[in-house]
Amino acid sequence: MKRRKKSKKTRWFSRRKVLFFGTLAIVLVAVIYTLYLDYSVRSRFEGKRWKIPAKVYARALELYPGQTLSKASMNAELSLLGYKETAEPQAPGSFHWQNRTLDLVLRPFTFGDGFRDQLSLRVTFADSRVQTLEQRDTGLALSLVRLDPPLIGGIYPGKNEDRLLVKLAEVSPYVINGLLSAEDRRFYSHHGIDLRGIARALISTLSGDGIQGGSTLTQQLVKNFYLSPERTLRRKFTEMVMALLLELHYDKQEILETYLNEVYLGQDGNRSINGIGLASRYFFNKPASQLDPAEAALLVGMLKGPSYYNPRTHPERALARRNLVLEQMAEEGYLSPQQLSAAQAETLGVIERPPRGTSPYPAFLALVHRQLRQNYRDEDLRSEGLQIFTTLDPQVQHAAESALSQSLKQLEANRGMPAAVLEGAVLVTSAQNAEVEAVVGGRDPRFKGFNRALDALRPIGSLIKPIVYLTALEQPQKYTLATKLDDSPLLLEQPGTADWAPENYDHKFHGEVPLLTALADSYNVATARLGLELGVDRVMRNLQRLGLNRDLPVFAASLLGANSLSPLEVTQVYQTLAGGGFLTPLRAIREILTASGEPLQRYPLDVKQVIDQDAVYLTTAAMQEVVRRGTGKGLSDYLPASLDMAGKTGTTDDFRDSWFAGMTGNRVAVVWVGRDDNQPTGLTGASGALTIWGKMMAQLENEPLILPEPDNIEQVWIDPESGLLSAEGCRNAVQLPFISGSAPTESAPCGPNSVGGSIKGWFKRLFGK
Amino acid sequence: MKEMRCTIVVCLLLLVSGCTVMTSAPSRNPAVTALLEKAEVQTSAGQLNQADASLERALRIEPRNPALWQQLARLRFEQGLFSQAENLARKSNSLAAGNRPLRKENWNIIAQARNALGDVQGAQQAWDRAARE
Repeated sequence: MKRRKKSKKTRWFSRRKVLFFGTLAIVLVAVIYTLYLDYSVRSRFEGKRWKIPAKVYARALELYPGQTLSKASMNAELSLLGYKETAEPQAPGSFHWQNRTLDLVLRPFTFGDGFRDQLSLRVTFADSRVQTLEQRDTGLALSLVRLDPPLIGGIYPGKNEDRLLVKLAEVSPYVINGLLSAEDRRFYSHHGIDLRGIARALISTLSGDGIQGGSTLTQQLVKNFYLSPERTLRRKFTEMVMALLLELHYDKQEILETYLNEVYLGQDGNRSINGIGLASRYFFNKPASQLDPAEAALLVGMLKGPSYYNPRTHPERALARRNLVLEQMAEEGYLSPQQLSAAQAETLGVIERPPRGTSPYPAFLALVHRQLRQNYRDEDLRSEGLQIFTTLDPQVQHAAESALSQSLKQLEANRGMPAAVLEGAVLVTSAQNAEVEAVVGGRDPRFKGFNRALDALRPIGSLIKPIVYLTALEQPQKYTLATKLDDSPLLLEQPGTADWAPENYDHKFHGEVPLLTALADSYNVATARLGLELGVDRVMRNLQRLGLNRDLPVFAASLLGANSLSPLEVTQVYQTLAGGGFLTPLRAIREILTASGEPLQRYPLDVKQVIDQDAVYLTTAAMQEVVRRGTGKGLSDYLPASLDMAGKTGTTDDFRDSWFAGMTGNRVAVVWVGRDDNQPTGLTGASGALTIWGKMMAQLENEPLILPEPDNIEQVWIDPESGLLSAEGCRNAVQLPFISGSAPTESAPCGPNSVGGSIKGWFKRLFGK
Repeated sequence: MKEMRCTIVVCLLLLVSGCTVMTSAPSRNPAVTALLEKAEVQTSAGQLNQADASLERALRIEPRNPALWQQLARLRFEQGLFSQAENLARKSNSLAAGNRPLRKENWNIIAQARNALGDVQGAQQAWDRAARE
């Protein structure tokens, strides 16, 4: 009995103890959990709330009197910038043409070197040139103005979330009123959760009227921001606690602003449209501050189901939903009956083609991204909202794209090839500054797939030849443009390798030919023999000095372009030739600003002399001869001879690759054509790539290639037959450039006659200066 | 001896600055002239990066104007990028056939750049070249 009593007492005691400690533990767990939730609520809210993609801009178009710019090009630029034509341009981003006079109002913009406010301009055009440039209000003449640069794409965060952050003050009040009417009428009076709303939701759920939300804006924000989308009771509970905590720490305005920036409003391919700022651009192409009641109601209505109420795919549903939101706004007193009926009568007003998010120039963007990754973590590029100013010239880009796709179609049709079997790549750079103006990675320029301009490695064929000749011309005492080369049969026997017997394209041998002709007519045998004399590794070393950053296997066939390079690598090499032997690494980026417009990094112009300027001069002069009378003469079908361009064709075995690399006074461009399966195309460099090069350049403003003649160069009359000294007026005599002291001294019959005379001349040249 | 060399350097620097005023206008294009002036103002305000951006804008308009390359060479010298300064002066020279005052000036820049890099002999050679232009 005693024992029983005791045991009962013990049991009672232990029960109390269990209760006590149990409660304590539960409270403790609840406190810790709440603290944990509090921590997560605050840490996310205090830090960076979103990953903002980097914005990538094309070059800003400069306007100045005298500049070559057609009305059509100007219009192309305005359309790219989304400027609107109006009768009386007052708002930034509007313009009006009257004959050849353009009135426009530039948008304000922060460039790398500072802020430029909106600017009202009058520009007159004459003969495809800018004639005058003045400020419209004051009549002040201006010498130079920059347009704002076209936005050409973004570098998106992992989930491809795109958004344009807005401040609450920058959002049309109709959006906020609509939001409160449709989603959370008591937003300003509750503390994160709305008990009345929950009760109503519970009743309608239990009575079988379907599951209702009853969530406040705060809860919705918490759900989007912190939680997974599953629907469990525990998650609902967590959501409520977090909503209360959020309201405890932050005021209503901040919560509302965050909500407006957070919301998901649609999908553009694999890019998601987030936030009211981007959505109003995406659906109405206007800033969120300018949304009218109907537009605001449409966006608010879509929050319930962005794809279900997508106004582009389901306009009727979207319209009904919008009108419902408008009614709710009127119920709440935000709209008068007149406003309501006017807004409900409006059409959806959604623009047909949204501004592109995915870049229209994926091949160029890939190059930008690659250059950026040398200095930036990918994570930062995708989250810090950096502004990246690039060198892309959209007008050059369009010329390159259209020339490539049109020519490939035409080549296929003319040659009875199956459609879409040919592929190609184009790169264009500015000749002296090495800025990349255009990159086309394939015949469908919008396709973001294999980027042939950067990644296709193809044998370069005769594009190597100028490097072989450059290597020779570096030794003026041994080789000049007039030096006779041997183009007779050649057999190279080396132990351990197959015999090599190069042939010419016409399957003939040409005997003794001047070096200049051997390059102009692209003779393989003469070039191979010359290259062997010089040493293959010496030629290949020069290829690297000109800007190739890789080691290539070196063998005799390298002299005829057996090594594979990408079009980008070829462009760098030819760029250095165009730069007169000065290497400037190709640049796709000019500068980077932070999200707030602070300069972060510049990519300054960098030059380095890598090759003797005189030898480059002679090589380029010989490449002009290629276009004048050699394998590149087909360019005369597209461009005037007065441009005096320099270039080189390239064709590989069985016509698998067709190349053309060339330069005008202001641009370097490289074109490759071939098949992805590496099958023969039947095209030579001249019948394929060259035609695209010509067609593209014909659409652009070109300057003639006038080579600045180094002091060390003299022009000498030569008899091309013998390669000996001749004189002006002699039959067939041609004037050729020579590095001082390297011209032939022996005279042809018509030349400065006597042997003695030419020796005298030689001494004169040697000591004359 | 060292003092004398210093004096020579100072004299040459003065000569350099004098030359800029003496040589004819670097460009006939008002847009380029405006950018050059802007770059000058930015340089004297110590905004070397902005000056760099302005000069590059000018070079995009007139990429073969040796006076602009020379100005960029000067700026790189200011920035302490001496090897770049030399290369840019050489680039300017490569485009300045026949323009002896400009070439002379480029050789002076090259000499100063080499001097700054401690290449006294190379600097002397460049000065000799300048004297011959």
